[in-house]
Amino acid sequence: MINYTEITIVFILLSVLLSLSSSRLMTLVKLMALQGGAVSLVPLLLEGTQHLPMGELLFFQVMILIKCIIIPGLLVLAVKRVRIKREIEPFIGYHASIVAGLVILLVSVFVTGYLKLSLPEGHNFVLVSAITTMAAGFFLMMARRKAITQVIGYLMLENGIYLIGTALTNPSHTLYVVEFGVLLDLLVGVMIMGIILHNINSAFDDADTTLLGRLKD
Amino acid sequence: MIEFVFLLPIIMGLIILALPPSVGRLLLLITSLMHLQLTVMTWLGKFTPAFAQLFKATPEGLYILLITSFIFFCISVYAFAYVNETDITNKPAFNGCMLLFLGTMSMVTLSDHPIMLWVAVEATTLVSAPLIFIHRSKEALEATWKYVIICSVGIALALLGCFFMTLSLDLTNIRVPLSYTSLYKVASSLDPIWLKTGFIFVIIGFGTKMGLAPMHTWLPDAHSQAPSPASSLLSGALLNCAFLGIYKMHILMVAAGLGQFSSNLLIGFGLFSMFVGAIFIINQPDYKRMLAYSSIKNMGIIAFGVGIGGFALYGAFLHILHHSLIKSSLFLSAGNILLGFNTKKVKKIGGMIKYLPKTFVSFIAGFVAISGLPPFGMFLSEVVIIIGAIQSGKYLAVTMFMLAVLIVFAGIGKACLSMSFGDEVEKLQTKERMLRVIPPYVLLAASVIITIWMPQPVYNTIINSIQIIGGKIHG
Amino acid sequence: MESFISLAIALLAAPLFPGIILKVKAFFAGKQGPPLLIKYYTLFKLLKKGSVYSNSTSFVFTLGPVISFASAVIVLFFFPFAGNAPIFSFHSDVIILFYIMGLGRFFTVIAALDTASPFEGMGAAREVFFSTIAELAIFTVLILFYRLTGSLSFSEYFIGETPISLVGVSGALIVFVVVSMFMVLLTENSRVPVDDPATHLELTMIHEVMILDHSGPDLAMIELGAFYKLYFYAAFVTHLIFPFVPANGPVMNTVIFLAIMAAVYATIGIVESIMARFKMNLVPKFIFTSFALVFFAAILTIGVIQ
Repeated sequence: MINYTEITIVFILLSVLLSLSSSRLMTLVKLMALQGGAVSLVPLLLEGTQHLPMGELLFFQVMILIKCIIIPGLLVLAVKRVRIKREIEPFIGYHASIVAGLVILLVSVFVTGYLKLSLPEGHNFVLVSAITTMAAGFFLMMARRKAITQVIGYLMLENGIYLIGTALTNPSHTLYVVEFGVLLDLLVGVMIMGIILHNINSAFDDADTTLLGRLKD
Repeated sequence: MIEFVFLLPIIMGLIILALPPSVGRLLLLITSLMHLQLTVMTWLGKFTPAFAQLFKATPEGLYILLITSFIFFCISVYAFAYVNETDITNKPAFNGCMLLFLGTMSMVTLSDHPIMLWVAVEATTLVSAPLIFIHRSKEALEATWKYVIICSVGIALALLGCFFMTLSLDLTNIRVPLSYTSLYKVASSLDPIWLKTGFIFVIIGFGTKMGLAPMHTWLPDAHSQAPSPASSLLSGALLNCAFLGIYKMHILMVAAGLGQFSSNLLIGFGLFSMFVGAIFIINQPDYKRMLAYSSIKNMGIIAFGVGIGGFALYGAFLHILHHSLIKSSLFLSAGNILLGFNTKKVKKIGGMIKYLPKTFVSFIAGFVAISGLPPFGMFLSEVVIIIGAIQSGKYLAVTMFMLAVLIVFAGIGKACLSMSFGDEVEKLQTKERMLRVIPPYVLLAASVIITIWMPQPVYNTIINSIQIIGGKIHG
Repeated sequence: MESFISLAIALLAAPLFPGIILKVKAFFAGKQGPPLLIKYYTLFKLLKKGSVYSNSTSFVFTLGPVISFASAVIVLFFFPFAGNAPIFSFHSDVIILFYIMGLGRFFTVIAALDTASPFEGMGAAREVFFSTIAELAIFTVLILFYRLTGSLSFSEYFIGETPISLVGVSGALIVFVVVSMFMVLLTENSRVPVDDPATHLELTMIHEVMILDHSGPDLAMIELGAFYKLYFYAAFVTHLIFPFVPANGPVMNTVIFLAIMAAVYATIGIVESIMARFKMNLVPKFIFTSFALVFFAAILTIGVIQ
């Protein structure tokens, strides 16, 4: 008996850990595509597909399309445009980042255990990975210099929050109009960040956020 | 179809993106007039929502919608002239995004579903980013980047807060649709711990957008780099919308019997924001940044007033109105100064009384107003908040409040006087034009008129919005 | 009986599989590639030759190849290939086995140091450093398996009551272990991206540089020992992927086993073809990641997945 939900979540955790340790931006983008796909599959697997109305099925297809193909596609475009292949000299090194990832996971296991929520079967594991993904996204935003890695960190944060929503809230509340709005915001957000990124790169000759220090008091 | 109120500007905004700027600026003006019309009709109750679970005309929402719509109309008159006088490379994007911005803000005011509200607030961030970035200078890029990243992350936390709120409903056995209106009814049976956690995330998340310290860091950069019409929209309208997100949750907290908790948080954030705003205003070299810090301070005052509750809550609602009117007027005047002297440095500007006499009047009047002096409305609202705070026995908080107001008065006053009467340093480059001078006057006049004579419907709406959490007008 | 047959297969077929790697790499490079049996030819060639010993070496140098070969062979006796019971097995044999492999490495290293060549010393230092981190990953795997099965023996892991595999009870966690063990496999057997077995420059070598001075039968022993070691790790990964239950019958099991083994080797070949070797300073990160993966799995057994 293969538990597909658990395997999907393991893939999410795998992508989180590998993205903490990878310096190549292309690898990061591929990992985000994997993560996006896995994250959008989790609610489907949790609910079961037997009694799924047509509209919801369509929504999930759109979600996979956006999270797994369009957003990574935009990121690939951005990476190619700015012509940066890897993150050099991050604020926090890769070994330290991996250790931080381990600590984050430990803490989220602890937190989930501490909450003692009576969640349905399987939701605890989703919650653990959701908290880990969210915190790792935060960590990535703080630990890296390149603007594009920060966008990826933001996406990871967003994925984590979405998973928390999936794990904690009752699916009966889900209004697909609203969910679609959230998704659309994410997509437009990445597009706008990509445009600004491109402009930063052409104005400063680099997409390094440490160059952005002109405005201060 | 109450949804028309936000659909109209969004659709028009998208259309304008594809049209030449000469048509675009005219359409901007027309749409803003139509929006004002729609807003008034909504006030008169002519519309019913088509998606009743998502949208609803609540009194607090209507109040902020009216402020937004009125300010936007004045700003669009200003922008009509402004667009042609500055070197904006992509004018359709400017006009279009202004309208999209108006549309998304109207959507915030009408949302009743927590996550729909979130979607709308996030959308305001996204459509206003191109406005800040319109000049494409290095500074503008930096400001936009900070704005988008900080606000997106902040608002993402607010989404988490909304999920916790949903969880607090799920943990009970009550099954009601997820919307603020239905949540208020079952508030007392919601799970208190998750509601508190949710409120913390919501106040941090939407507080980032509202400019509460210490999450305010994007605000001075964005306000100073955006073109003046956009700055005045950011300050006069956007911050209120973010406030609405917090206020709706605050109502829920009060209804759930957790008012003490949320009030204390609001008072804490409010006082801290006032102080951060006040400290950075002193010796601020850039007058647009100075106004931005003043916005942080005023948002602090509003959060403080809401936190105190009772009579001060009424003051806070008055303060929202007057701050929006006065601050957007000031930003428009600042825009005139920037066009005139082409610098944002206080020290490089002098002799405004001689070169820009009409702007001088509106700027000085705005200064008097923002400092909380009569006859402008901020005097009234601040006095009301102080009385409310004294009534509820928070003497220490009142002392700190008055101290912050004094510091700001001194800080702005110094800059304002040196700009108006000091020796000239830079040559005047662009002269004043009537279309750019009238809107600031109108906004200030509105503040004075409302102080003297409050229209009955507006008064009723304020009372309706504050009554639900025990706000009252008589001591 | 099946145990002896599968051991015999292991002993005889181990040099065949590296031929698969070479074939895969040749395919990616668009070449014909050497014949599949190339490694047998090499071994015969080496065995026919005599050994040359430097004057400056001592008996330690001759001891190195023998012990490293012996340690690699011993491990095979304990492993349940294709789900057949191993020839020897006792409680907590895994720990001893991994230390026996450590012993083999120790003697390879000490033989390399015995030559007093600066290159070999450098290679020895690298080998020891990287395998130390890899050992961390291996022992975390053992901790994880102990939590899952409550035992410390290969036969318990793979042919016990609840065999560990991807399709087993806590299969999700095994995804981590498979990925991690594959990374350890690449590290321990000096494959790309950690080390390049085909490199020509001593400065960049890790494992190859240590055996530069060995020749003839000594070298043949080292090579064969390396094949057995690789066979062992590949079999480990294979067992993680597929559970070999007795119900399938021994013949069927053996066929499936060899097929998956071939697939694992082919994967190594693919990895070697599409990846470049890491810079030396990135290698520890790679191995460390493998450790972190298993550690993730180990943390998740605490409370979340039982």
